[in-house]
Amino acid sequence: MRARVEAAPKFLNLLQIRFPIGAIASIGHRISGVLLVLSLPLLALALDRSLRSEAEFAALRDLVSAPWRAMLLALLVWAATHHLLAGIRHLLMDVGLGSGLSRARTSAWAVIVAAAIVALIAAARWLS
Amino acid sequence: MRLSIYRFNPETDLKPRMQDYELAPEAGDKKLLDALMRLKTIDDSLSFRRSCREGVCGSDAMNINGRNGLACLTPLIGLKEPVVLRPLPGFPVIRDLIVDMTQFFAHYHSIKPYLINDTVPPERERLQSPAEREKLNGLYECILCACCSSFCPSFWWNPDKFIGPAGLLQAYRFISDSRDTATAERLAYLDDVYRLFRCRTIMNCTEVCPKGLSPSHAIERIRQALVRESS
Amino acid sequence: MRLFLGQRAWVLQRVTALVLLFLLALGAATLLTGPPLGYERWHALATSTHGAVLIVVFFAALGLHGWIGIRDIALDYIHAPMLRLALLAVVGVILFAIVIRVVLTMAVHFARGA
Ligand code: SF4
Ligand code: SF4
Ligand code: FES
Repeated sequence: MRARVEAAPKFLNLLQIRFPIGAIASIGHRISGVLLVLSLPLLALALDRSLRSEAEFAALRDLVSAPWRAMLLALLVWAATHHLLAGIRHLLMDVGLGSGLSRARTSAWAVIVAAAIVALIAAARWLS
Repeated sequence: MRLSIYRFNPETDLKPRMQDYELAPEAGDKKLLDALMRLKTIDDSLSFRRSCREGVCGSDAMNINGRNGLACLTPLIGLKEPVVLRPLPGFPVIRDLIVDMTQFFAHYHSIKPYLINDTVPPERERLQSPAEREKLNGLYECILCACCSSFCPSFWWNPDKFIGPAGLLQAYRFISDSRDTATAERLAYLDDVYRLFRCRTIMNCTEVCPKGLSPSHAIERIRQALVRESS
Repeated sequence: MRLFLGQRAWVLQRVTALVLLFLLALGAATLLTGPPLGYERWHALATSTHGAVLIVVFFAALGLHGWIGIRDIALDYIHAPMLRLALLAVVGVILFAIVIRVVLTMAVHFARGA
């Protein structure tokens, strides 16, 4: 009996599960959070450089001249925007604002779409 | 109609497999459970739980086209074909669509799902005002089908430590009960990284509850009660 | 041992989030109004007493908020106790070092500006 229970399979193939929109917003919150933590050392360095001299400050602005860096920055813009908006959504829901299912669905959509749009605008501006 | 069903027989199979079925539903077949019952007359090796066939007993919860639900409450009309049926995600499979609910019920029992009141009982029953009774609406209706807990990512990662939405909804049902005097103890038990605080308010639980309940709302209220308690 | 267990971490996550939100709003309001942002203005703002303190507070809140987030992820996905402890310790030390680095940065530029 024991051996059988231990060998029991589990169904947990995430690709075969249909995730509600709230779950998508949530995993986005998590991924963007990790990206932001990873970018924290860069942010601290950027702060230092921005204060060193006129030239260093200007060099920071020029970072986006390389397409790959512009892409990376646009990704971080997505992460910051998504994390910020999803965070505000959660704070409001914690005090009972918009925590009903239909409004939570709408706000999850809004967060996902808004963050994507902001990131696209940033990418378009820097890449053109 | 076409169905694709998760099959696993612990006596003969090493691994689960999907089996396709063709079925001609008859006039009276309205719900998915009706189709499954008909299928069972064709292939009696197919195993699933069911009893009340009307959303009361909570035994026929399963993953239907990627979402958890009760077969007996899922209309056949509108189901995308092939209808893909799998056992509840994250639960150990005993056979086909039957899962082991031991852990789920252990969490349920851990929250002491009964009234605790050490005061001397009145001569007749403990009365509640209509307003006090009203607070139990949306909580007492839970049928412990496990649709919610088995759709909760936090429960998938820590099924042994996180109480899960079903157990937490029940916990809040007793916290809200005016006749229960153990609120402080109940809250102290829940104030734990795992038991309560694994919930990230994803709301998958509320999305799938076939009784239209909102475990995420109950969890929100427990957290608020904890903050009030400690401030 | 209740510290950082259960409710505390959850509350701290929200408190740091509110601090960050407030500082971001303040920063955005300051930077986006007034004359266009060049080195001169940025330097003056950042090395003022208020600016320097708020920047340090911002990074401290970021570090704490980030660590709590990583801890939640580790609690979900990493179940080997030693591995989890090691990861959280390493991330904690790195985040702490970053905050110290920001404090030093601000101290140096503040001293130079004064
Ligand atoms: S809360 Fe809903 S989904 Fe969860 S066990 Fe109760 S009835 Fe089922
Ligand atoms: S709201 Fe909480 S309990 Fe419900 S599915 Fe999400 S994590 Fe699970
Ligand atoms: S058979 Fe009882 S709930 Fe579906």
